[in-house]
Amino acid sequence: MINDMFKNTHLLQQALDASWLRNKAISNNIANVDTPGYKRLRVEFEQFLSQAVSRKALTSSVTNEKHIPIGAGSPSRMKIRVMEDHSTSMRLDGNNVDIENETAQLAKNNIMYNALIQKISGDFNKLRAAIKEGR
Amino acid sequence: MSFFSSLDISASGLTAQRLRMDLISQNIANANTTRTENGTPYRRKVLVFQQRDGNRPFSDYLSDASRAKIGGGGVRVLRIVEDTSPLKKIYDPGHPDADQNGYVHMPNVDITTEMVNMISATRSYEANVSALNATKSMAMKALEIGR
Repeated sequence: MINDMFKNTHLLQQALDASWLRNKAISNNIANVDTPGYKRLRVEFEQFLSQAVSRKALTSSVTNEKHIPIGAGSPSRMKIRVMEDHSTSMRLDGNNVDIENETAQLAKNNIMYNALIQKISGDFNKLRAAIKEGR
Repeated sequence: MSFFSSLDISASGLTAQRLRMDLISQNIANANTTRTENGTPYRRKVLVFQQRDGNRPFSDYLSDASRAKIGGGGVRVLRIVEDTSPLKKIYDPGHPDADQNGYVHMPNVDITTEMVNMISATRSYEANVSALNATKSMAMKALEIGR
């Protein structure tokens, strides 16, 4: 029980990590908008999350802590990957940063980060309410 | 420190675009300069951008976990080069720098091109500012966890 208490928080924490890293990647893309031959960076997290969630249907229940869980196991350590996008070219100099797209992604990511912060704060507030017995 | 390196990335973009702006101003100011320090007409100056590498140790590249890191650390100006395109020749026999046929070599600065580049530099600068503000608001929001 006590181990499961922060399971949700842990997951949100990783989503926050991914969101922060994505912000960094977008900042780097915007800073290099005029660099010849630069290829944009993108951060992959959501597909790993959805993979882990969809695989969860096949996991076995564990009755002893020494049992090895079948399937993805707990989504305790989600993968975050930074990839270079080599598929396109925006301009003749080989740069493929689309500034409009990057700005939109920046705004999207910012809202996502705020939503995650709100959720994690809400979780802590619930815990606090339980500890204080609702007083 | 990783937490503030996002801000450093945007700051490097701002510095690079400002330098670009300075060079454009320099080009426009010298659009009619026929005599520089070494006696030749002014040549348009352009800069070369390069992605700045973060200081990553070799072990970083080896470990699998490093895939979850941003390799680059923003942008830097590699060097400032002179535009080698031919100088403009205008006929002005009264000019002190005219050759024996009466032609003056004018700088290869095109005001229209410089103006267009100036707008481009301004927009890139603004994009970096908005990225910087987004990072700042995210960092401030993170301090509110558990409030």
